[in-house]
Amino acid sequence: MKLSVPMPVRLVLLVVGTTAFYMYLGQIVPQREAHPPPPVLISAEMTTEDLVAVGAELASGKGQCLVGCHTVGQSGPLRYPDLDGIGARAATQIEGLSGLEYLAQSLYEPAAFIVPGFADGMQPIDQPPISLSEDEMKAVIAWLQSLGGTPTVTLDTELGY
Amino acid sequence: MNRNRILFGIGVLAFISVIVTVRLGGFLVDNEYRQPDRQVAAQEEQGEAELTPRQQGIVDEQAADEAEARARPYEEAEYRAVPFVGSRVTVWVLAQLHLLFAAFVLAVPLFAFIIEFVGYVKKEERYNKLAYEFTKLLSVSFSMTATFGAFLTFGLIILYPKFTNYLMHIFSPTFLPYVLLFFLEALFLYSYYYGWGKFGPKMHLFLGFMLNIVGTAIMFIANAWLTFMMSPGRRDDVDGDGVPDFVSAVSESGALLSLRDAFFNFTWMPINIHRIIANVAFGGSIAAAYAAFRYLQAKTDEEKAHFDWMGYVGNFVAIIAFLPLPFAGYYLAAEIYAFSQTLGIQMMGGTFSWLFVIQAALIGNLFLGANYYLWLGMGRMEGGVHFQKFIKWLLIAIALCFAVWATPRYAISSVSEIAAMGGSSHPQLSYLGQMSAKNTAVNILILSTYMSFLLYRRTGRQSVHPHRQLLTRAQAIVFSSAAALVIFYGVYGYFVDSATRIRFAIPQVYSVLAALVVITVIDLPLYRNATQSGETKWGKIPAVSQYALIFIALSFTWLMGLMGYVRSGLRQEWHVYGVVLDTSPDAYTPTLGFATQVVSVTVLIFFGLLGVVFWLSSLGGKKDWEPKTVADGGDRLEGGQAA
Amino acid sequence: MWGLNLPVVLALAAIGGVLAWRRANTLVWLLYTLGALWAFFRFGFAVPIPQSVATIYLGITGLALVCYASSSRERLAETVQPIKRLILEPRYRLALAGLLVALPALAAYNVYADLTVPLEAPGFGREVHPPPPTEMTVHDETIDMATAENPYLHYKHDDPELYAKHLENGRRVYYENCFWCHGDGMGGDGMFAHGLNPVPSNFNDVGTLPILQSSFVQWRIAKGAPGLPASGTPWDSAMPAWEKFLTNEEMWDVNLFIYDFNGYEPRALGQH
Repeated sequence: MKLSVPMPVRLVLLVVGTTAFYMYLGQIVPQREAHPPPPVLISAEMTTEDLVAVGAELASGKGQCLVGCHTVGQSGPLRYPDLDGIGARAATQIEGLSGLEYLAQSLYEPAAFIVPGFADGMQPIDQPPISLSEDEMKAVIAWLQSLGGTPTVTLDTELGY
Repeated sequence: MNRNRILFGIGVLAFISVIVTVRLGGFLVDNEYRQPDRQVAAQEEQGEAELTPRQQGIVDEQAADEAEARARPYEEAEYRAVPFVGSRVTVWVLAQLHLLFAAFVLAVPLFAFIIEFVGYVKKEERYNKLAYEFTKLLSVSFSMTATFGAFLTFGLIILYPKFTNYLMHIFSPTFLPYVLLFFLEALFLYSYYYGWGKFGPKMHLFLGFMLNIVGTAIMFIANAWLTFMMSPGRRDDVDGDGVPDFVSAVSESGALLSLRDAFFNFTWMPINIHRIIANVAFGGSIAAAYAAFRYLQAKTDEEKAHFDWMGYVGNFVAIIAFLPLPFAGYYLAAEIYAFSQTLGIQMMGGTFSWLFVIQAALIGNLFLGANYYLWLGMGRMEGGVHFQKFIKWLLIAIALCFAVWATPRYAISSVSEIAAMGGSSHPQLSYLGQMSAKNTAVNILILSTYMSFLLYRRTGRQSVHPHRQLLTRAQAIVFSSAAALVIFYGVYGYFVDSATRIRFAIPQVYSVLAALVVITVIDLPLYRNATQSGETKWGKIPAVSQYALIFIALSFTWLMGLMGYVRSGLRQEWHVYGVVLDTSPDAYTPTLGFATQVVSVTVLIFFGLLGVVFWLSSLGGKKDWEPKTVADGGDRLEGGQAA
Repeated sequence: MWGLNLPVVLALAAIGGVLAWRRANTLVWLLYTLGALWAFFRFGFAVPIPQSVATIYLGITGLALVCYASSSRERLAETVQPIKRLILEPRYRLALAGLLVALPALAAYNVYADLTVPLEAPGFGREVHPPPPTEMTVHDETIDMATAENPYLHYKHDDPELYAKHLENGRRVYYENCFWCHGDGMGGDGMFAHGLNPVPSNFNDVGTLPILQSSFVQWRIAKGAPGLPASGTPWDSAMPAWEKFLTNEEMWDVNLFIYDFNGYEPRALGQH
């Protein structure tokens, strides 16, 4: 007796089986649905502390700082500079620029100063596709200042851009 | 009376009786009030029918609806929905099917032309026949491409009217040339196909050449539309500070500034290159699958030999195109990075990072399948045992590279595993999850596959070149130094900072490419006029090799579906990146699991249709119909596959 | 060495050596490769690699082995031959029967093992020692986290008497406040410890105090769970922010005391 499966059946099994296998691969990896970032509302009476909270939300949402580029508190081979302690470090990065001015510059004109050991790659955050508004920018700066430093930005602060 | 006729009659009767039963049942079951027939007749007799309150109510309701419909102003729809599947999935599947057939239609003439040309130069008739065999697949596929193209266009206009309108605002001047080129494509394709053997060889080659030129031009135009959606503009150093600035092709509100910038946008050329190479690899693998399909049906040794050879050539084309494909992909990814850091990070580190682990599994399977087919092919030669001992080592190298490439950067781990590792990355494995290791792995994979091919080429052959020992040694030195260089840069990448490490990919790629070229240049004279210890027995290959060919074609198709998804999904909630926002309910990025389901369904539909194409193409070589005397098993087989 | 579990690796290599010496059949080699790699991934690393990665590797290995076995007619025949003999030859009846029982039994065991995995809470990716800020302010005193040291540590050599006084004060603070959770012997096993997740730090552990700077310990004492950064979340740690109850001196004293009690030195700046 010889068992044999007809060729068309084998072909269909091969096609369906292989496709099912690849689909299965897609099911076992982590599943995440990415929704467009919800609008973050900044109202005129927000204090610096509120801005830090909004900035933190922007950093991992619309602003995309922490979506694969920057880290907070990691070491080792990094893609881009770790932001930990940036609030304290900012004042001493470029001579003649205060901490606030340095942070504003690195968001509006990222190419102006590249941290040694890293490649240029960041885009101006006020332009598409990220397009943060000036108020949102202030919130992000407040958050950055809060990383290791004391935030000073309010909505009345002039960034100079 | 024929039994079939009775069955047919019963079927028709059953169909009619089902319809009658349903209608009758519906009439009886529904609770609509009906006036007794006598009353209606009486009213008609009176000449003036008086409406019952219920009828009056129905008439009033209709009148109110109509008045409302008349009063409603016309509104431009932004999006329309498709029930159950949703408009995005509809357009997604249609676009993918259109693209798969289009890729095939563009690729086949490319290598059919080359094969015909080789036949013309070598004056060998079998190449000419083979090229014709490939071309036979074209005409049905061409109709499929056009059908799905129309389907896709209607889908876009109906489901995404506002956005489609916007694309027309940008690209309307390119549509007429596109249609004209499509017309020319049809002209050249059919004259190339039907004119086989009717024109002189030079004239016919010219037709094939023009077919390729026109096809490529069509693809370049269509690529401009889709790359514009990803990168609406170019990068140029406008202010002269050495840093390329973004020059948008559209204004902030989306109005067109420069069609030139929109057309020749930043990712246009990288996509063109990537697609041409990928199309050839894909087309070759599909053609090889066709040959495998015919091989498995073949009855005579002659047919088997022919289709074995055809499958081999198709697969050879696919592999040759596949080897540089990772580099073209790397170039495309690097250009996307250069265009927008956000897109690049999204792709490799963010939402889509796990997609590339699946991609690694697919590409690993492709490399493994291709090598496997070559090793099985050594069985065609007499006296081919000599190289069998190398297979083990090649396999180890390929499996190792495959494993490195499939190592995720952050593994899925349970709480106790994380606790044991002290973080989400393993102290040793985390080294393998990084770019340095993966670049090294893919380069070694390419070298190993090429090695397999060289061994296959040498099986059962003996070089007669006077300096054969020297040349073989030179090849070995080139090969091992390329491998050493690749590994050196891979390891050294761990000891330098990220800006330097990124640049290491380039010497790795160049050393591999250089090695491939140098080894080939040495190999050609080395094995010219080589003596053969036994002849190549086409058709004498285990049948499992043919299933491997179909597996390769399937993996290629699925890979194309997956990478098409990431290229398009990368924009996330944007129709045109940074310009036109998607505000439809489908704006979110689905889970990878869902995306792979859509890709799988698309691939299954494609293979179903491909079965029809193969079946129709195999009809061409059949005898004309005659009254049946002996059951023709082949027909039934093909019919079953097509279904 | 290299994070490997050497006895396991050597044992696996030894089995391979024996197989090579006995010129084992292809099938045996294939089974050995799969089994040895399984054992290597499971037991061969000092820190076991995650199950998911091991599955990927074994899947690739399995695929490669199938390719190898079927890559030529001769090799396929050689591989299948022992199986054929096992099935067909009467003298292997007993072994065949054993195999027929063993295979379902193995599958059943696998199901059993899968079902009896102890339940685990879903992971959150919380970091055990989250990164500290670069500076912190406690009671209006700003501390540079990178360079700060315990201000009383140098008394150990300069003024042992004063040092003992600070230690004594630290002992008092510890046994008034900390031992409820961190335990009498600082093993992280105080009377409340069983109710807490994450469990209180075990200060006897070589992986805790010696790898931390005293400024880090001071940060954790002063700011507690409310002061944990995002990477240390979710904030289910029950550690209070002691700056609300203790003075700076008291906190430095208890910091001094827990190091002294366990006989550890704080990690110095720049030491790895």
